[in-house]
Amino acid sequence: MNVFVVAERRVGTGSPAEAWTAAVPSGRAGTAIALDGVSLRVGEGEVEILRDASLRVAAGELVCLLGPSGSGKSTILNLIAGLARPSSGRVLEGESPVVGPGPDRAVVFQDAALFPWLTLRGNVEFPLELQGFKAPARAHRSEQLLRMVHLWRFQDRYPHELSGGMRQRGAIARALATDPAVLLMDEPFAALDAQTREILQGEVERIWSVTGKTVVFVTHNVREAVRLADRIVLMGTRPGRILHEERIDLPRPRDANDERVAVLANALSKRIASEVEKVAREEADDAWVVPGAHRAGGPGRRLGGGV
Amino acid sequence: MVRDGTLARAVLTSGVRLIVGYSVALVLGVPLGTALARSRMVKQSVGPVVLGLSSVPSICWLPLAILWFGLSEWAIQLVVVLGAALPVAVATESAVRHVPPGIERAARTMGARGARLMLTVTLPAALPGMLAGAKIGWTFALRSLMAGELLFVSGGLGQLLETGRDLGDTALVLAVVVVIVALGRASEVLLFGRIDREIARRWGVEAV
Repeated sequence: MNVFVVAERRVGTGSPAEAWTAAVPSGRAGTAIALDGVSLRVGEGEVEILRDASLRVAAGELVCLLGPSGSGKSTILNLIAGLARPSSGRVLEGESPVVGPGPDRAVVFQDAALFPWLTLRGNVEFPLELQGFKAPARAHRSEQLLRMVHLWRFQDRYPHELSGGMRQRGAIARALATDPAVLLMDEPFAALDAQTREILQGEVERIWSVTGKTVVFVTHNVREAVRLADRIVLMGTRPGRILHEERIDLPRPRDANDERVAVLANALSKRIASEVEKVAREEADDAWVVPGAHRAGGPGRRLGGGV
Repeated sequence: MVRDGTLARAVLTSGVRLIVGYSVALVLGVPLGTALARSRMVKQSVGPVVLGLSSVPSICWLPLAILWFGLSEWAIQLVVVLGAALPVAVATESAVRHVPPGIERAARTMGARGARLMLTVTLPAALPGMLAGAKIGWTFALRSLMAGELLFVSGGLGQLLETGRDLGDTALVLAVVVVIVALGRASEVLLFGRIDREIARRWGVEAV
């Protein structure tokens, strides 16, 4: 896998956040995250969640894991985060194996997972406090981060007083607090309405380009993946596995309504249709027919074809 | 009664006992409940005992307490602590079990582990549920204390009730009951009411 020239991808924004980048080490060259023949089986019956996944993410790269539910995309994220251990194979961060969760790999969850008993600012400062930062340093850093996600004005609000989109932005600020090398995002916008989602996709692209983080972004939304990714990793189900990788070379910043995004997204949708069909079949009774499924993939992709 | 200070002394005596006993009950009950929620070994070994004992009216411990400690503060405190600690433990267990797993997972990705995770994340997250147990514990403590004080010479409100009965003084008995009701209500408004409101402000829901 080739190394990215990070500098080319920086997009100037003129936002206050740019002052902040100076303090942040820009994306380092080399491989940030590597999975080496990773499988995960769980439970008594050894259900296979993920089979033989190998993946390399370059430092500063934005990779989207795209697939239907049950394709193991969140599993890969949990493995990188250290929340799960592989049954076989290796997960590496740089050169060293991942042995558990750590502040160098921050996670943004689908439900934001902000702590309800802390204000927005308390939430952003929480990981800093864990790392032993003193109060003035925490205040300084949380202000930078909350300004970057445009939530400074709401610093004293509790999570329940914020909208879903604001909570996710808060979660992103919290994840960036300890200056992690890798930002892991697990379907962060799946529960948001379409408009908010588009705005936040733009935010992710902007924050990524300003901070130079390595980002692994999990989604089941094809257009979201095309909009954001340097590279899309397509995943299939039963068992979860990596099917295919697709480089997206559209210029940045991208627009979700750009025709090129739409064309690429349509092509990819057809590619994963057979996988979606598999899930639909398993989750429904025999009478279920997936509309348009006949268009999907080659004959080799058809489940039970020729049996 | 009010003028000669009998009532004030009785309220003070009972109040101090209540606060001491209740505090000890919290100190014992919260860790016990947390251990029940988090350790399978503790749950399997101690769990049935806790559930069984919590169905015993705490005044039933008084004879044993008197055998062990004689007619002393210790005997009364044993009854109060046992009465309050078990409901606190049971509610804490359930509250800790119901902390959304996502909250703890998020904290772990930030590097929180062990006791730090428990104290800074799990217990605060469990607070609304624990408050329910704390309230029940408080009323249990008050009931146990009154029952205990009724049964032997102790100088508290309970004994004042007993004195009223001995003297055939219905007015005294009723007056003491009114004072007990007022105490319960005051603790509700001054202590738990505030915590309730604070939790509602932060969590955005009415606490349990």
